[in-house]
Amino acid sequence: MNAIQYDVMTALPEILVLCMAMFILLLDLFLKPSNRFLIYVLSQLTLLGAAVLTTVTHVPAVGYAFSGLFVDDPLADVLKLGVYLSTAVTLVYTRQYTALRGMFRGEFYALVLFSTLGMMIMISGQHFLTLYMGLELLSLCLYALVALDRDNANSTEAAMKYFVLGALASGMLLYGMSMLYGVTGSLNVSGVADALLSGAPDHGVLVLGLVFIVAGLAFKLGAAPFQMWVPDVYHGAPTAITMFIGSATKIAAFAMVIRLLVQAMFVLAVDWQGMLVIMAIMSMIVGNIAAIAQTNIKRMLAYSTISHIGFLLLGFLSASLNGYASATFYILSYVLMTLAGFGIILLLSRKGFEADRLEDLKGLNQRSPWYAFMMLIVMFSMAGIPPTLGFYAKFTVLQSALQAGFVALVVFAVLMALIGAFYYLRVVKYMYFDEPEDHSPIVAPVDMKLVLSINAIGLLILGMLPQRLMDVCAYAIIHSIQ
Amino acid sequence: MGLAYLTFIPFIGAAFTTVSTRLGRYSSAWVAVITAAASLSLLLPLAHDVMAGQTIIQHASQWVPSLGLNIAFRLDGLSLLFTLMILLIGLVVIIYARYYLSPRDSMGRFYAYLLLFMGSMLGIVLSENIIQLLIFWELTSLSSFLLISYWQQREEASRGARMALTITGGGGLAMLGGFLLLGKIAGSYELSSILESGDMIRQHALYPYMLILILLGVFTKSAQFPFHFWLPNAMAAPTPVSSYLHSATMVKAGIFLLARFFPALSGTPEWTWIVTLTGLITFLTGAYIALFKHDMKALLAYSTISHLGLIVMLFGIGTPLAVVAAVFHIMNHAIFKASLFMLAGIVDHETGTRDMRQLRGLRKYMPYTALLTMIAAASMAGIPFLNGFLSKEMFFAETVEHGNSMALPWLLPLIVTAGGIFAAAYSIRIAHNVFFNGKAEDLPKIPHEPSRGMQIPVEILVGLCLLTGIFPAQIAGPMLSVAVTSTLQTTAPDYQLAIWHGVNPALIMSMVAVAGGILVYRSREALFTLQSRFDGMFEAKRIYNGAIRRLFNWSSSITMNVDNLSQKRMLWLLFVASIVMGASGFIVHDAPLAGARTMLPVDPMSAMVAFIMIAAAISTVVMHQQRFTALVLVSAVGLGVALTFIKFSAPDLALTQLSVEFITVVLLLLALFFLPQRTPDESDRLRQGRDIVIALLAGSGVAALSYAVLTREYSTIGDYFISNSVSGGGGANVVNVLLVDFRGFDTMGEITVLALAGIGIYAMLDKLKLLSPQQDEDGRPWNPDTHPVVMATFSRLLLPLALMVSIFILLRGHNLPGGGFIAGLVTSVALIVQYLANGVEWTRTKLPANTHPLIGSGLLIAASTGVASWYFSYPFLTSTFHHFHIPLLGDLELASAMAFDLGVYLVVVGTSLLILINLGLIHQVSYQPRITKKNLASPTTDSDTTPSRSAALKKVLPWKR
Repeated sequence: MNAIQYDVMTALPEILVLCMAMFILLLDLFLKPSNRFLIYVLSQLTLLGAAVLTTVTHVPAVGYAFSGLFVDDPLADVLKLGVYLSTAVTLVYTRQYTALRGMFRGEFYALVLFSTLGMMIMISGQHFLTLYMGLELLSLCLYALVALDRDNANSTEAAMKYFVLGALASGMLLYGMSMLYGVTGSLNVSGVADALLSGAPDHGVLVLGLVFIVAGLAFKLGAAPFQMWVPDVYHGAPTAITMFIGSATKIAAFAMVIRLLVQAMFVLAVDWQGMLVIMAIMSMIVGNIAAIAQTNIKRMLAYSTISHIGFLLLGFLSASLNGYASATFYILSYVLMTLAGFGIILLLSRKGFEADRLEDLKGLNQRSPWYAFMMLIVMFSMAGIPPTLGFYAKFTVLQSALQAGFVALVVFAVLMALIGAFYYLRVVKYMYFDEPEDHSPIVAPVDMKLVLSINAIGLLILGMLPQRLMDVCAYAIIHSIQ
Repeated sequence: MGLAYLTFIPFIGAAFTTVSTRLGRYSSAWVAVITAAASLSLLLPLAHDVMAGQTIIQHASQWVPSLGLNIAFRLDGLSLLFTLMILLIGLVVIIYARYYLSPRDSMGRFYAYLLLFMGSMLGIVLSENIIQLLIFWELTSLSSFLLISYWQQREEASRGARMALTITGGGGLAMLGGFLLLGKIAGSYELSSILESGDMIRQHALYPYMLILILLGVFTKSAQFPFHFWLPNAMAAPTPVSSYLHSATMVKAGIFLLARFFPALSGTPEWTWIVTLTGLITFLTGAYIALFKHDMKALLAYSTISHLGLIVMLFGIGTPLAVVAAVFHIMNHAIFKASLFMLAGIVDHETGTRDMRQLRGLRKYMPYTALLTMIAAASMAGIPFLNGFLSKEMFFAETVEHGNSMALPWLLPLIVTAGGIFAAAYSIRIAHNVFFNGKAEDLPKIPHEPSRGMQIPVEILVGLCLLTGIFPAQIAGPMLSVAVTSTLQTTAPDYQLAIWHGVNPALIMSMVAVAGGILVYRSREALFTLQSRFDGMFEAKRIYNGAIRRLFNWSSSITMNVDNLSQKRMLWLLFVASIVMGASGFIVHDAPLAGARTMLPVDPMSAMVAFIMIAAAISTVVMHQQRFTALVLVSAVGLGVALTFIKFSAPDLALTQLSVEFITVVLLLLALFFLPQRTPDESDRLRQGRDIVIALLAGSGVAALSYAVLTREYSTIGDYFISNSVSGGGGANVVNVLLVDFRGFDTMGEITVLALAGIGIYAMLDKLKLLSPQQDEDGRPWNPDTHPVVMATFSRLLLPLALMVSIFILLRGHNLPGGGFIAGLVTSVALIVQYLANGVEWTRTKLPANTHPLIGSGLLIAASTGVASWYFSYPFLTSTFHHFHIPLLGDLELASAMAFDLGVYLVVVGTSLLILINLGLIHQVSYQPRITKKNLASPTTDSDTTPSRSAALKKVLPWKR
């Protein structure tokens, strides 16, 4: 196998997604609106195909392609599978929602697939520019997706804010990268790591570069103090898009943190640990406290995301393989919870009605005991109450932070989780005790109902038997990070 | 494996009960009975070994090995005691509930929740692994939430359930923190090793944190002050639930944990003070408040709180004898309190009310119930020959003992006796007030004795009260001894289970308490009026609600500060955060700002250009409200940049910059035309000042960073290209060779993107008509002379000249400054000038307006030069060059890359024209569509505005006739 063949083989899933995204964009031009379902099926098949390719080409070792611009390691495979899964689930949940709002179009699916491609590149980027390209591909698609419902003033405003702030943050990231390049003379992840290992020539500039990279990453993750876009974008974007932004993209941002901070700048761990501690604390405060006063469930989930990111950062603090594995576990658990949570909101939405206020959940138990129970599981999981998946996620990151000696921080995090539990339980109260305000029946396609139920029950089952998922995360980290 | 099955049988039973309702209404009750009995039957064989003093530890399976978690169960004296309580009282409650629930209530759901709770509770007391314990712990919160909210339509049920869940669920999370710390200290999550390493745990630096977190969990669950208020609110649950959860089991889970960790955690000053004091306060407040509650269940709830406080206090005192008293009281309290709750349920069931201001004289209607209540209440009050007396006397004795070690030995017994007085008083009240005290009247229902099914459970429990009270050593002795042994993890101290210990301080205290209780009860009316003045003043619920409100306010203020929907605020935050982070990075590391490189000398020319640029930039900001002026100033900055490029020998860049600058200004002008002519209001001075400071900080930060990086040594990649451009690309102009050869693929991509962008803009602008402003902001019409003759004539003269220059630049590009990109821009500028100076109408007749073919052919040419190299079996876009000798012209070098450059040229011209022309076409000032016959035939509806508008147009557009 010569070099080019190897490159192509390594990036086969990416190539598939790229080709299919372009094909879908073109195909849409020639399809009658009544046949749009084909686009949906093709998108799902694309994700399935990518998943198959990723699984088939999986080897428990690190492989570099395209002259070291691209990496394929077990971590990348695991995270990509997470991205496919969450994107596929998103597509299932959003089919009815988009169809009722005139967004069930080729653009939606093409943009989602292009974003998926962007995420895959972010996950597999081994070079600062590859990472940046993936990030921008993702971000640009997301800006467009947020504004997809063009006539909605909220959406366009959110898209505008997202774009302006996102562009600034990307700029910062690039700024940091360029400074790092100035000092190390390399843009390659392993090149930078090697250069730093052999003795950093100019620590001051290095740290400044790090600061800007961390700021850029924090923005993409939505960690305080760079969280300001999250509530507005979550709120303003159509729920289908919010769900997408809240789930899959976080995996990609997580991958970028691993590539940049852990793999490239491990030598500077002491420096970034300090920054992450501050950001974790701020995220947990802002996320948990501000969530309480929200009346809009999307805004509430936005703040809950911020606090979850705070917890996620705890996993990185230990700067150990164990810690990264727990962070991986956390991000995957978070994504599963978010999907189910937004799934319920989408389930309750119908034509001309967005079920995005907390009041809209009132009396859900009377309208549908089953989905009220599903949402109960989701809320418990987000609050971190056993025996749900969210409990283990919190448990593992707290344990890893504890092992690294951040005792006060762990205690603080526990207290913040306590406050967090309050607003999740408020949702439970609305569902179980209040009289429903609207009594319209819950209409959804069978596949959505089925997947949503599996998703929520999965939180419970994985909560009781988390070992398999934990093994996968540990495996991915151990075989990918030296 | 027996213990694992034992624990999980109720969960399976819970699944069955929901199904079994199809077989008839009461079948689920039978399933529940069978389930509890099955668990019990599994326990009995093991119980024999435990009673013999063994500790059974069963490792069921590995669970999460990576976290060091195993599923393991432990059965020793303490857990046996609790398991028996859970199963036996559970069994009794199941029978009771079968008769208590009304036909409207769904039995299946009730028993499912109840069994779920039973299983979780068994899980807590039987877990060997503390994380496993925690999971069951939270499961009890969850299942009790479901039970409390069983009558979900009732408002109080909703509030009570939610409060219970918030407090206990939250406490569980705190306990998670404590367990994590405990696991870290002890090195294991297994109880066996934790219990053995008590000394190490107590000496560890993290001990206080861990203790507080664990105690938070314990106190919330066991309704200790100041978390006690959820328990009375949870009384909205059906009475069987109250008698099971809120007397015998769930609230005892906290106590269980206190007992379980007693060997590992107790004995430090922190433990003694926190636990004893909390217990004491709870004991007192609970007893006091209980007396004043008129709702029977509320009274019992507060009395439960008080008794739990008593037990907690005993564990706080922590002597072996205190532990004996505590464990004994756990048993006794569970028995008499469960029966009292059931009796209250009977009263409620038969009369329809629980309000003791309404209830009186029931003895006449239900004498047997009255008898049972009197016995149970007497046990609660601590009357001899009943089980409550025994443990209460032990408690009094312990307080005397403990008091002796304090500065004021009489203080503690005195306080405790005061609590005892209230305890006696409320016990008397529940019996006397309800069953005697005059004649019953105004009751919702005519009361009568309940069905046997509700009486039998009570009889069993009350019988136990009596038996234990009379034959303590025989009935409770063996169980108590093993339970105490395993709680202490050492041999139990010497104690006597007897009714008569002689006249000692404890007996006196008991007697004083009972006597005082009678006195207090007799004067209750006066006390009630006194108390009603303070109603609601010291209620913990208010504190809870206040705390919630404060949390909400805090939350709102944070939201307002970080999230007020304003983009300005977001940018502000982003910049401030970056500045702070950047500055801290710089300060912390104390790195020198300047690097090792020496600075170039500053010549006057550069200084002047720099000065002009700075001045222009500042003026732009200052004059941003006059948009056209600001635009001119911005372009001055651009020109300065171009000059800078020239200074540093980059003529290519300077040329590009110049032409791009021109096109950008035209673009901006076209867009500005449609924007509101007035700028929005400025923010106030204060804000402006703040923003100026931020801008200055950010700007100087960036400047400092550029300075820092530029003064440091760096290696460039430029040398490689300079040395290889002639030999490898056949061109002396490195920039151009870079564009068309070394990085040809990039350029290919770029022009494709450019073409796409152009077509995209075309697609968006096509058919779009914007209403253009007819007047300026002061109401003056636009200058009618849109295309001055002098300018028009000159521009026509310039066109061939400019085109010539652009072709020249295109051709020389490979070796001298120039190239396809710049040439394309120059051509576009020349053509756009024609549009600007002569108007769209005129130019369109001379030039084809459709530039799509230009773009297409440009892309085609560029791509085919790339593909051509495949023909010669080279990779895509490999370029070659050759020298031709042409007579007269001499040596002429032609590189294949020049064809590529031609493609670039065409695309640039086509796209920039496409964009600018179409932007110009969307309004009518520069272009008025020809009025055709068809247009005239269909007059517009707004006929009254048409004449004036066309007149205005004629004035504005002189070429229109």
